[in-house]
Order: sequence, then C-alpha cells, then structure tokens
Amino acid sequence: MAKSDDCVHILQGLLVFGNVVIGMCGIALTAECIYFVSNPHGLYPLLKVTESNGIYTAAWIGIFVGLALFALSILGIIGVIKASRTLLLVYIILMLITFAFEMASCITAAAHQDSLTPSLFLKQMLERYQNSDPANNTDNEVTKTWDELMLQNHCCGVLGPSDWQEYTSAFRRTHKDADYPWPRKCCVLDAQGLPVNLDGCKLGVPGYYNSNGCYDAISGPVNTHAWGVAWFGFAILCWTFCVLLGTMFYWSGIEY
Amino acid sequence: LPTPPARLPYVPHLPPMALLGKVTATTFALETPLCVFDGHADASDAVWLAVAFANASATFRNPRSRADVPPYRRLPTARSYMTLETAAAAYSCSAPSPPVLRVGADTACRDQGRQDPCNGPLPSPGPYRVKFLLMGCRGPKAETRWSEPILLRRAVSPGSIDPAPTRHGSDVVVIASILASLGAVLATAVLGALGAKVWGSLCHQDLGTDAFTRRSYRTHHIPPALPQPLPPGCGCSPPGLCRSA
Repeated sequence: MAKSDDCVHILQGLLVFGNVVIGMCGIALTAECIYFVSNPHGLYPLLKVTESNGIYTAAWIGIFVGLALFALSILGIIGVIKASRTLLLVYIILMLITFAFEMASCITAAAHQDSLTPSLFLKQMLERYQNSDPANNTDNEVTKTWDELMLQNHCCGVLGPSDWQEYTSAFRRTHKDADYPWPRKCCVLDAQGLPVNLDGCKLGVPGYYNSNGCYDAISGPVNTHAWGVAWFGFAILCWTFCVLLGTMFYWSGIEY
Repeated sequence: LPTPPARLPYVPHLPPMALLGKVTATTFALETPLCVFDGHADASDAVWLAVAFANASATFRNPRSRADVPPYRRLPTARSYMTLETAAAAYSCSAPSPPVLRVGADTACRDQGRQDPCNGPLPSPGPYRVKFLLMGCRGPKAETRWSEPILLRRAVSPGSIDPAPTRHGSDVVVIASILASLGAVLATAVLGALGAKVWGSLCHQDLGTDAFTRRSYRTHHIPPALPQPLPPGCGCSPPGLCRSA
C-alpha cells in the first residue's frame, strides 16, 4: 500500500511539474509571437504582398495558443492535485484542441518560411518599387519599406545593384537608365541625404555606392522569427504530448 | 587636298578597373586617352569621340570641319555621331583628368535638341565601335583605331523570374509527420481510455484492483463466541464434579 502511495505521489508530482513547464512555455510562446507580430524590423509590408503571410497567421495563432496553454496548465495542476476526474477530462479535451491549433501553426510557419527565396523578393521589388500609380497604396508601402531598408542597412536591391540592370522594372519606367542605373538610395549618402559623389555612384566606383544586396537583412530576422514560432511550438508540443499521456494514465486510474 | 589624319595605334577600350556601371543599358565608360595625342595636338585643337554602330564603322567618313560633325540626333539615320568634344590639353600626360569618360551621361540634351555636341544616352544596345578624332582648325589631324565592338546590357522582364523555392524543405516534412503521429497517438489514447471506461461501466466489471485513491475499508467485525451455559440436566454445583443420583 505504501509503495503504490509513493507511486501515486510521484506521478502527481511529475504531472504538476509538467504542467508548470507547459504554463511557462505558453507564456514564452505568447511573448515571442507578440514580439514578431509587432513588426520590429518593419518588414511586414514586404511579406504581406508576397502572399507569404502564413508566418504572421502562425504567430497570431501562437499568441492565443500560448495563453490557452497557460490557463490549461493551471487547470491541470488543480485537477491532478484534487484527483478530480471531471476536471482532468475537461483538461484533456481542451488540451487536445489546443494541440491541434498549435500543430497547424507550426506547420504553417515552417512551410512559409521555405518560400521566402531571393527570387520572390526580387520579383516583388522589381514590380512594385516606385510603381508610379498613385492609387496603389500597397506599392507605396513597399517603396517606403525598401527605402528604409536600403538606407538603414546600406544595401541595394535584393542581390545587389545589378538587379536594376539585369531586369526591367517599374522603377525603370520612370527613371532613365543613364541618370539612375540604380536608385539614389543605393548611393553612399552624406548627413543631408545627398549622394557623396553622384558620378561615382552612377559609374559604380567602389566606396560611393552600396554593393551588397538586402536579402540577408530581410531573411535574417524573418527566418529567426519563423524558426522561433515553428520549432519552439514543436518542442512545446512534444512536451505536451508526454504530459497528456501521463495525465490520461493518471485519469484512467482514478476511481469514483 | 588636306593631309589625311595620322593614324595612332591607340585602341579605345573600357576601363580595366572593376566598375559596376561600366556598361549599362544606355551608357558605357571608356578609359581616358591620356598621353595619346601628345606631339600631334596644338593648344587650339579638340578631341572628339566618334561613335558608330559596329556594322557602320567601316563606312564612317571623318568630317572635314567642325560644321560637318554628325550630331547626336542623327544617330538612327546616319548610324554614327560624334560627341564629347574636349580640349586636347585635357588629355595631355600631365593633365588632372578623371580616369574614365562616360558616354551617354547627359539625359538633358536629347530633349532640348541643342546643337552642341550632345552626349545623350544610346538608344539601343548596339554593338557600337568608337574612336577618338583630333580635330584642328583645318580638319582632322589624327585619329585612333576603332575599338572592339561594345555591346550594351539588355534587361529582361521580371516575369521570367520564378519565385518558387528550389528545394521543398525537409523541415516541413519532419515537423508535419512527427506532429501528425503524436496527434494520432493522443487521439487514439483518449478514445481508447474513454472506450474502456464506457465498456467497463456497461458490463459492471470491477476494474479497480489498483486504485490510486484510497477508499475507506470497512472490515466485517466477527465477535468471538460467548461461552454457553451448561444444560440443567447435570446438576453439579461445583462444575466438573458430578455425583450420579
């Protein structure tokens, strides 16, 4: 009798510990997803037009799943300590629903992260940057985002300034090639925002223009966040799986 | 008859240094011909650049005077023009000239239709050949050789870019398969546990051999039997000592 008492207490202790970890991870997931959704690097307009919005959808789901995990972990702790079949049954069913949602979020984040290739951003940039149609609001946002990006990261284009030379673009329709082989933002600018040496920039003299592409500056933060949502969610789900199995085993042993 | 211009062995060429804008869709750059015309040029002479389509360079005739110089705007019909009129002193060895000349840099002159030598952007990718011509008051005095054909960049439409990912990630497959199997195991476990409970309650079986919560045990208390009184037929006053009557 004493031995099975000990086993019961150990199992209860493990389940409480498991639920505490789930609760804390839920809060962490919510915090991470809120940070991602708050658009810290100003890249949301670029992702919105690539129809690769899955990462944001996954992050939004992650916020609510994290809060649900926290609430359910408290319910689980109470149910385990009180050995209440009803509470634990409610806990198991709600946890399964949350599990399903988080599964969807992880898979969406992982799938969309793969689709963020340089070609995707290149095509979008060429078609939308400085697209002169004034009614098109999304293109204006894309232009502003690219200008900010090129200014802050001292980069040009997606793979380099030659993007503007190799392909025709909306930019090329309004800016002559002889005056603007690439946008002015690609030039090294002084404190007033004017090119330090305009002729040097047009010719491509090293030191007067930014020769590296912006793809790393875009994909770095987005990939980090997408990995965070996808793989952290996956880890939480693996842990939750173990805790749920233990809870079901515990539940099946409780007699009325 | 004026003397034919001296043929200098210099060949105009693109600058050797790495410049990303050496050749664009409508412009190209040439290395400045420093020291080339020393010994042939006077202070009043000018050096022109003759630009012609590669297949029209053989038929190019040097202009007899400044008034005969083919202008930029006749490039489509005449298949050649001359531009970049510069004082010969600017190309002497000691002159502080920039190392590169950019052909096609002036977008303003094309629209205004000025008569000055217009360094306008080139209208088509070419290929073009160029040569430098030293013009004096009485006509051309010296010329360089024709350059190699220079082909300008041709831009393609962004519609040709395929944005699909080159490799469909293994990450997705791993995550999806593991999560799907975990989900399936959980669902099976829940259904199995619920099913077992329902089955057990329907069949009224006693399942609780190892119950986790302690139930109160009520033991059936069996009191020990009390000693019965002896039957009255024996009549012994001290027990165990009987006298038969």
